[in-house]
Order: sequence, then C-alpha cells, then structure tokens
Amino acid sequence: MDLFLQLLVNGLVNGSHYALLGLGFGLIFSTTRIVHFAYGPIYTFAAYTVWQLAAGSGLPLWLAVCGGILVAAGLGAASYFALYRQLERNNAPPLIPLIASLGLTIVLENLVGVLFGSGVRTLDISGSVHFLGPVFFTSIHIWQVASFVVIALALGFFLRQTRYGRAILAMTDDPEMARVIGINTRRVSYLVFVIGSAISAVAAALILVKDGAGTHMGFHAVFMGFVAVIVGGVGSLRGAVAGGFLVALVESLGLFAIPTDWQASISFVVLFLMIMLRPEGLFSMARR
Amino acid sequence: MEYLYHVAVLFCLYAILATSFNLLVGFAGLFALSHAAFYAIGAYATAIMTTSLGMPFPVPMIASIAFAALLSGIIALPALRVSGHYLVIVSLALQVIVLQVIVNWKSLTGGTDGISGVPSFEIFDFALNTPGKFLLAAVPALILCYLFSSRLIRSPFGRALRAMRENESAAQAVGLNILYMKVSIFALSAALAAVAGSLFARYFSYVGADSFSIDETIYILAMVILGGTGNLRGSLLGAAILVAIPELLKFLPLPVDIADKMRLIIYGSVMMLVLVFRPQGLVPEPKGKRAMLVDTEGEDRKADAGWLLEGAHGDQVATVMDGLNLGKRFGGVVAVRDFTIHLKTHRITGLIGPNGAGKTTAFNLLTGFLRPTDGRIELRGEDIAGKKPHELVSAGVARSFQDLRLFTNMTVIENVLVALPNQAGHRVSSLFFKPMHVARQENQNAAVAMAILRFVELDGKAHETASELSYAEEKLLVIARLLATGAEVLLFDEPMSGLDQTTLAEILPILKRLADHGKAICIIEHNLDVINDLCDEVFFLDEGRAMAVGTPEQLMSDPELTERYFK
Repeated sequence: MDLFLQLLVNGLVNGSHYALLGLGFGLIFSTTRIVHFAYGPIYTFAAYTVWQLAAGSGLPLWLAVCGGILVAAGLGAASYFALYRQLERNNAPPLIPLIASLGLTIVLENLVGVLFGSGVRTLDISGSVHFLGPVFFTSIHIWQVASFVVIALALGFFLRQTRYGRAILAMTDDPEMARVIGINTRRVSYLVFVIGSAISAVAAALILVKDGAGTHMGFHAVFMGFVAVIVGGVGSLRGAVAGGFLVALVESLGLFAIPTDWQASISFVVLFLMIMLRPEGLFSMARR
Repeated sequence: MEYLYHVAVLFCLYAILATSFNLLVGFAGLFALSHAAFYAIGAYATAIMTTSLGMPFPVPMIASIAFAALLSGIIALPALRVSGHYLVIVSLALQVIVLQVIVNWKSLTGGTDGISGVPSFEIFDFALNTPGKFLLAAVPALILCYLFSSRLIRSPFGRALRAMRENESAAQAVGLNILYMKVSIFALSAALAAVAGSLFARYFSYVGADSFSIDETIYILAMVILGGTGNLRGSLLGAAILVAIPELLKFLPLPVDIADKMRLIIYGSVMMLVLVFRPQGLVPEPKGKRAMLVDTEGEDRKADAGWLLEGAHGDQVATVMDGLNLGKRFGGVVAVRDFTIHLKTHRITGLIGPNGAGKTTAFNLLTGFLRPTDGRIELRGEDIAGKKPHELVSAGVARSFQDLRLFTNMTVIENVLVALPNQAGHRVSSLFFKPMHVARQENQNAAVAMAILRFVELDGKAHETASELSYAEEKLLVIARLLATGAEVLLFDEPMSGLDQTTLAEILPILKRLADHGKAICIIEHNLDVINDLCDEVFFLDEGRAMAVGTPEQLMSDPELTERYFK
C-alpha cells in the first residue's frame, strides 16, 4: 500500500511534467497542424541555456530560467519563420513539415552538443525533503506540480479571455474559416510557436534542477508531448493534460509489473497501442 | 587506398539502405521511419548466428533476411492501418521499442556491449578481411539488391504501388488489394535493409545498438530525399553524396566528437534545404511517357476489349445487385435509412436529391467503402456484407468518385492499365517466378487499355500525364478507368457535373452504349435533362431515405417533389 501511494505521487509529479509538455506541443500542433518534432531539441536547448546561465555565468536561477524561456521562444519562432513558413508557402503536402522537422531535430540536437558540450549537466541544488505519512517528496516536486497548475490556469485564461487567445481557438477549430473572418493566421502561428516553446522551457528548467540535462532528453520529451496529445485527443488541450497524467500514472504504476529496465519503453508501447486502437483519442467526444 | 575502399564499402551499405527505403517512402508513399531497426535486426541476426551458433555462409544472411521480413510483416499489419503523421510517429516509436529490446535482452544481444568477433566472409580459405577484399561481397550485394528493387518497381506491382501512393481509396476502387501491397513492400524493404545489416556485421565484425539509432534512420531518409523520392538512381546518388561529405570533413582540423556532430548537422540541414528548395530531389521522378515503367509496345496491337464492356447476362434483363433496407448511422446522425434498390443489367438507375441526401453514402454502402448499420446487400443473390472494396470490384461492382481521384502523376494509359482485372504482375511472387507470363499479359493488357481509351476517344492522349488533361478529358478518363475493371455493376458518382453541352453529348452515348452492352448502371446526377434522357428508373432521396421511386416522367410530374428539389 505504501509503495502504491508512493508510485501514485510519483505518477502525479511526472504527470505534471508530461502535461506541461503536452500543453506546449498540443498548442502548436492543434493550432497549426504542424507536428513540430523539433519541439524536443528546443526543450533540450532551453535546459542547457539555463544551466549555462546559472552554473556558467553565475546568474540567479530565476533569471537563468527567464533566459532559457527567451531562447526557447526565439528558437520556436525562428523554426516557424525559417522552415515551416517556407514549406507552407510552397504548399508542401501535409507530411513534409514533419519530415523537415526531423531534419531540424538532428540539427538542433547536435548544435546543443557543439555549443555546450555533450556531457550530462546538473545544477547543485537539492530541494528540501518532505514526508506525508509514508510518502516521500521534495520541494522540486512541489515546484513541478505548482508550475503546471499556474501555467495551465494562465493558458486557459489567456485562450478564453483575450483577443489573441480566441483567435488561437478559432484557428484550432477551422484554419480556413479563421482566415476568412480576418484572423491573421501567420501571426497566430508565430504566437503559438512562441508560447508553446516557452512552456517547454519551463518544463526543461524543472527537469534540469530535478535530474539534470542530457543532449538526447528532447527526444523523449517530444514523444511524451505527442503521447499526451494523442491519448487526450487532438485539438483538445484539456485532453492533453489528462493524457499526460494518464501516461505518467501508467508508467509509474507499471513498475508493479514491469522491471525498471523497461520503464522507458512503457510510454512508447502506450503510444503504439493508442494510435492503433483509438487514434481519435480517449476523450475526443468531450472536446474542450 | 584501403581508405578509399572503406568509403566504397560504406557507400554499398548505404546505397542498399537508401534504395530499399525509397521503395517504401518514395514509391509506396509510406513514411514508416523504422528502417534502421530492420538494419539492426539483420546485423544482430547475423552476429548471433555466426558467433553463438557458428552457422556457415549463407545461412546467417538468409536467416537475417527472412527474420526481418517476417517481423516487419507482423508489425506492418497493425502499423499500416494508420497513415500520415500517425504512421511516422508510430514507426519512430517502433524503432525505439526494437532498440530497447536489443539493449535489454542482454543474454542474446550483449546489451550495451554489443556483440564482437563476428567472422568475416570466407570463400575457400580466402577471407574478405580488408576493405578492398570486402568489396567483392559488398558490390555484388548492392547490384543484386538494386536489380531486385528495380524489377519490383518496373512492373505492374510497382505501378499499383504508385497508384496507391497517389490515391489510396481510388486504388481500392479499381480493385487493388491495399493491405497485401503495403505488407509486401514493407517486408521487402525490411528484408533488403537486413541484407545491409548482415554485411555490416561481417564487415565491422562488431554490432552495437549505437549504430542503429533514430539518427541513422533520418540519415538514410536524408539520402532518399536528397536523391529524389520515387527514383532509384537518385538514391544511389544521395547515398554517394552523403557518404562522401563526412569523409571530406575529416580533412578539417576538428575534434572527433565535434566532427561527428557536424556530420549530423549537415545531414539535417541538407534535408531541410532540399525539402524547401527542391522537394523533388536531385534526380526527380520521371514524368510522362518516360515514367512509364512498363513497355507499351503491345499497345498498338489489335485487342478485344469487348469482354470488359459486356455484362455477363447476354440480352436478358436480370437483377444483379440488391440493397435491402439499408441503413447507416454515424454516431447520432442517420445518413441513410431503409433504402432499398435493385440494379438490373441493361438498365440505368438514377439517384437524385439535394446535397446531403445520402446519395454518396448509398454508393459507399453498395461498394464496400462503408459498412451498413442495417440491412443486407446481395450480389447475384449472395450476401456480400463485410467484403472489402477490392473484393467487390473483382466480384463485379465498381464505382467512380465525385472528386475524380485520378492517379494524377501517372500517364493516361497507366491509369487504365492499373485497373485491369486479374493481373499476375500485381503479385510479387509472379514477378520473379513467372516473368514470361507477366510480360505476355502486360503486352495484351497494354492493347486492351488502348482499346478502352479508343472507346472513350482518349487514345490520342494515352502517354500524357493525367494532371495535364482538361476537365472534360479527366471525366472521360474516370469512365475509362472504371470500365477497365470489367465490373458488371458500374456506379458513377456525378459523371457529368460541370461539363458543357458538347462534352455531355460525348459522354451520354457512352453510358447508353454500356447499358446496351448489358451493364447494370447506377448514376448520381443533378442535371434533370440528363436523368430524363438516360434513366429507366429514378430514386429521389432526401434526408437519407427514398422519397419516391419511378420513371423520370413520373417523378418530374410530381409537383411536391419538384418543389422539394428546387427549394
């Protein structure tokens, strides 16, 4: 029972992380229909930037995180400008942006290695340890959950209450119609690339503090973002959040039955089964 | 010198990988990005069989090929149900899972240490243990793989693959078995990757999971895209360029790990630049007559296409198809309810009604594209529930689409050829075991296809690319392609919409002649003059049900219907 509670809490903490990744990835995907695979290395880039600023240049952590967010947002906008926008102009078939994104992925991933070196980076911060009955958690875990809650609420408010937010929702529903009613879809696309990448930077900074950063971490991250979106149903950000938590819980509670070596595979197997059996997502009927 | 030979061996390996990947990505249009996984499977299978089991050549290579083909076939069955983005992501996940299994199955694969000590090839005590000598194995392997791929592509099967790539539902509608094609091309592509894997293990005498990561798949993909998708020679060129570039980098004074990263950065950049500035690649897929994969010298011969244009019931009027009380619901929406129709030879049946009345849904039900939620469909008295579209085509029911769905990048005659029934060349095994039979049939088919084109008066355009036709010609080609299936029951979805009077006057007699020849015809049409002129019986559909059935005169004299129709 104690183990179960511990795994449940781990699942919820990781769920916050995956849900955050799902929010950022899902926002870009559902609005622009672009499978932005390079979301992964941009996330890695953010983590290394934060490390560089905090450990290398000695800036306070909060300032370093802001720097990481700025760099990620810039890279997000740049990838739309330099790659996806050009492909849209050529009227490339829908699969081409994804394939090009794979190219961008290996470019950025290796650029991280060239710029920052390829070793694992950790920050010398150890959070305080807390016990709630038999369950163990750290202040970093609390930060992860809290960041997710704040960002999710802020994003929800932004999407519903502001002009640009509503433009994003309109474009998610029907890009053609959005254009017809006079929404500048190019500007909205830039906006979601900036916001989505910024969100990924927050997740990256938290993971850096918690586990450290490695050059290949982005691959897993973008997959988790994709899994969250698929499990939740494309086009629904609430679904992406639910999907993120669900996958994390399956992954965590899966430890009951599956050796640790295989834990990393669980999410891929979940993704595989999900796309096979229910490509429209678990919650597709309850859109938004 | 040995260094140059080493580069040449690498080129051979990657040329095999790139051409086999092009089969899947370029010709079949399936972006299943797990090629490096099958490369790995081939390498590991050979390494395990030579080191642990001590098997002599050629057993390990054959086993590698067979194992990769089998495994990919099993995987393909579920994975190829999805398409587009999902297929890309699923196959990337698959690649990760395969590598995880390799790394975690330590007793078999050595885990992260890999397997070393794989013996090189030996021919009568002559060991191929230097790069120069290894070329004696690598070059013939490349040539064989290339010839195999080329045979596959330049055949009726290859033509069918391209048709599937152009439009999957249209390919089904002309009777192609999509599932068979996807699984076989996936398995064959994996088998060829396993050949490269097997050579890899022999050459480096070591296999480790690092060599087969996702980066490797993307590397091979970059070769295919740079060279040009849908062109095998392009893949050779792409492989040559992308193997040579990192070797040139070695002349720059860079630390080793930076050089390795630069290499990957270059591949990624090449891929993006090509996709933005030259998406067709360095050697684009040929178009027009040059793209014809099959010799068409037979096309000028006399051919009797009559058997394709005749019904099977001679002069008598017979009911061949019955839809009984058909119903279709999508969630809560009822698209068709309680719809009963009988299609007879020598008769033209019309479906009219406002947009959204369920006419096209009715077609989809009758041709197996949708499964009815209620009711039965019988063909010559036999229940055909649950049959796939391509099975129905060979049973004698074929349809056209309102939005045409031509194979636009193929020539006019290829559009017709691909639809001809019972082609031995559509089966991979016949290509290699009955090549003469395939060639003979192909010659006859070319003549038959030409005869059908003459029937619709498109023979002058036979070698033009379908995308270059005028709208009216496209409509004629749709009819020609539908006729080529030889089906007895023909369902035309708005064959005459958007045409001017002159073209109408060309198409109307064609449909009448088909009915005279004994076909059972059903058309969806909005033009009431056409309905009046052609149809023996008309169904007026609205809100998913038949509001009225009768001769055109009867329906048009009903004031209530006319009002409904023009509301």
